[in-house]
Amino acid sequence: MNIIVCMKQTFDTEARIVLENGAVKEDGVQFIINPYDEYAVEEAIKLKEAEGGVVTVVTVGPARVEEAIRTALAMGADEAIHVEDEAAFGDEVTVSEVLAAVIKDRPYDLIIAGNQAVDDGSGQVAVRVAELLGVPHISTVTKLEINGGEVVAERDAEGDTEIVTAPLPVLVTAQQGLNEPRYPSLIGIRKASKKPIAKVAVAELGLDALAIARRSSVVEIVLPAAKGAGRVLEGDTGARAQALVRELRQTSKVL
Amino acid sequence: MDFRLSLEEKMIQRTVRNFVKNELMPLEQDVLRNEREGRPGLDPETLRVLQHKAKAIGFWGINTPEEYGGANLGSLAMAITLMELARTFVPFDFGGYADNILYACTDEQKQRYLIPTIEGTRRSCFALTEPGAGSDAANIRATAVKDGREWVLNGEKIFITNGNEADFAMVFAVTDKEKGPRGGITCFLVDRELGWRSERVRTMGEWDPAALIFEDVRVPEENVLGEVGYGLELAMRWIGAARWAIPARAVGSAERLLNMAIEYARTRTTFGEPIADRQAIQWMIADSAVEIDATKWITLKAAWMADEGMDNRHQASMAKLYGANMANRVVDRVLQIHGGMGYTKELPIERWYREMRVFRIFDGTDEIQRHIIARNLIKGHVRVDDFLD
Ligand SMILES: Cc1cc2nc3c(=O)[nH]c(=O)nc-3n(C[C@H](O)[C@H](O)[C@H](O)COP(=O)(O)OP(=O)(O)OC[C@H]3O[C@@H](n4cnc5c(N)ncnc54)[C@H](O)[C@@H]3O)c2cc1C
Repeated sequence: MNIIVCMKQTFDTEARIVLENGAVKEDGVQFIINPYDEYAVEEAIKLKEAEGGVVTVVTVGPARVEEAIRTALAMGADEAIHVEDEAAFGDEVTVSEVLAAVIKDRPYDLIIAGNQAVDDGSGQVAVRVAELLGVPHISTVTKLEINGGEVVAERDAEGDTEIVTAPLPVLVTAQQGLNEPRYPSLIGIRKASKKPIAKVAVAELGLDALAIARRSSVVEIVLPAAKGAGRVLEGDTGARAQALVRELRQTSKVL
Repeated sequence: MDFRLSLEEKMIQRTVRNFVKNELMPLEQDVLRNEREGRPGLDPETLRVLQHKAKAIGFWGINTPEEYGGANLGSLAMAITLMELARTFVPFDFGGYADNILYACTDEQKQRYLIPTIEGTRRSCFALTEPGAGSDAANIRATAVKDGREWVLNGEKIFITNGNEADFAMVFAVTDKEKGPRGGITCFLVDRELGWRSERVRTMGEWDPAALIFEDVRVPEENVLGEVGYGLELAMRWIGAARWAIPARAVGSAERLLNMAIEYARTRTTFGEPIADRQAIQWMIADSAVEIDATKWITLKAAWMADEGMDNRHQASMAKLYGANMANRVVDRVLQIHGGMGYTKELPIERWYREMRVFRIFDGTDEIQRHIIARNLIKGHVRVDDFLD
C-alpha cells in the first residue's frame, strides 16, 4: 500500500509565543511536527507495518523543516519530499495546490494528514488537497481500518461518533485519539540521517507561481488577553449560583 | 565554530526529553511519596517496565560498545542524554551499562561479570574509599595476601554506592606494601557469596551508600581484574569516566529548577507586585542562567574532547568543580525564591538541595579538583590558553 502523509512543522504551542513585527518570533522557538500530523505519521507507519507498503512524507516549508522530516523518517517513514520554495509559502490555497501537484503523479492508496495545524488552525489544507485530487475525504478520524479496497473510519462528529466508509484512494485527517505516536527509535534516528529527502521546486511541479499565489493575507496577529485573577463567589449555594449566572451573562457574555 | 547540535544529536535530545516528560515526570509525586515513607522512589517493577519501554526504542546501553549490543553513542550524545534525564529527580537510567573498568575483564571473567552487569542480571559496586583513605585513595589499608591459589582479603570500605544492593564488588587492596601506590595495589572482583558484608550508611540524600566489611574473604586468583599491582590505574580510570557526567546532570536539574523559580517569581506577588519585578530576585535568576550556560559548555567541551580522543582530564575536573558548585548555588537561590514553600516537602526543591550537596564531595572533592587543576597548570601539563590559540 502506498501511503502519503501531509505534514507541517509548527512551533511548539506549549512554549511561550513572542510576537514581533506582526509575526511569531521564530528565534529561540522550538519547532515540532504539528501534533495532529504526528498522529498521521504514526497511523501511516502502523498501517504499513500491518499491510506492507511505503510511507512517503510530503511537506512544504523552509530549511528548518528538515528536522521534522528526519523525525518522521526516524519514526519509520520511508521517503520524504520537501518543497522548499518561496513560491510555495502562501496561504491554504497555495499550500494545497502545491501538495496536490506533488501527490497527483505518484501512486497512492491513502493520504493521511492532520485535522488542523496548531499554529493557524485553519483545517482547510488537507480537505482542499482531496478536492483538487478528486478523491473522497473523511476528516477528524479517531479510528481507521483498511478493509480490502475500502476504509472504515470512525470520526468525531461534535461529540458523537460517525462511522464512514469510502473506497481507496481516499484522504483522511487525523484527530486526537487516533493513536499514541511512538518515540523515534535510536536505530531509526541513525538511519534517518542517511535517508534521502527529495527537494522539489514549484516550477518543477508545472505550477504557475502567480496562479497559486496567496489570496488572503494576515492583517494582524494578537495574543489572547492575559488571564486575570480568579474571583471566589461568596454566600450560600443559591446566592453563589445566582451570582455566577449574572457574571456569565453580563461580564463574560457567554450566556 | 558551530555551537549547534547535529540533527541526529538533536533528535536524540528531543526523544529523551519527551520520554522524560511523558514517562518519568508523571511519576514524580509517587517518587516523593515513596521516599518519604521510606521506600525506594521507584519500585523495581516500575523501573523494569520503564527500562523495557526505553529498550524497545533502542535506548539501552547507550554508551556500551556495539559488540555487547549497545548503541555506543559517544560522550557528547551521552552528555546531552544525561542533561535531559536529570530534568527529573525520578531515579531512572536506561540500563545496559557496565563500569568502564569491567572491560578489562579476561574473556572468562567477562561471562561472569561484564556481560551480566550490562544485561542487568548482576549489579556491581566500586569499592575504593576507606574510613582512613578518601581523597588520598592511594593510602588505602585493605590488604590481600596470597595463600596458595587464593588471595585473603581483609579491610573495610565505606560510602560505597550500590554497596547494599551489589552482587559483586570491585575491591581495591594492597598486595605489595613495599611498592604501595606504585604497583602495590590490585583490584579484585569479589562476589558477595565469598563472604563480605554490607551495612547501610545513612546520608542526607535519598539513597544510601554502604560500608563493606571483609574479614578473611578468600578470593580465587582468577578474580584479579587486570593485572596484579595495576589496581590504582583502574581506579583512576573509573573515576575519570564519571567526572564530566556530574556537571552534565547538574545542568539538566538546574535548568528545571530555574524554570520553576522563574514561573514562581512571575506569579507570586508581595506588596502588590510580582516578586519577578524585584531586582533582588532578578539577580538570582540572571546569575543562575549565566552559570548554567557556562557549565553546559565547559561540560560539552569535556565530552567532545573525549570523543576526539583527546586527554580531557583537566577539562573534566574544571567541569566537575564548576558544575557541582553551580548546582548548589542555583538550588539554593531557587529555594530562596520560593520562600517558605521552597523549604517544604510539598515541592521537590529540598530533595534536590540535599542530593546536590554530594556533587561537591564524591568523585573528587572541590578541593581535590582545585588541586588537580592548579597542579596541571603549575607543572605545565596544561597551559592557561591551551584551546583557542
Ligand atoms: C554518597 C557518596 C557516595 C560515594 N560513593 C563511592 C563509591 O561508590 N566508591 C568509592 O570508592 N567511594 C565513594 N564515595 C567516597 C568519596 O569518593 C569520598 O567521600 C571522597 O573522595 C572524599 O573522601 P573523604 O570522605 O574521606 O574525605 P577526606 O579525604 O577525608 O577529606 C575531608 C576534607 O578535607 C579536604 N581535603 C582532603 N585532602 C586535601 C588536600 N590535600 N588539600 C586540601 N583539602 C583536602 C577534602 O576536600 C574534604 O573537604 C562516596 C561518597 C559519598 C558521600
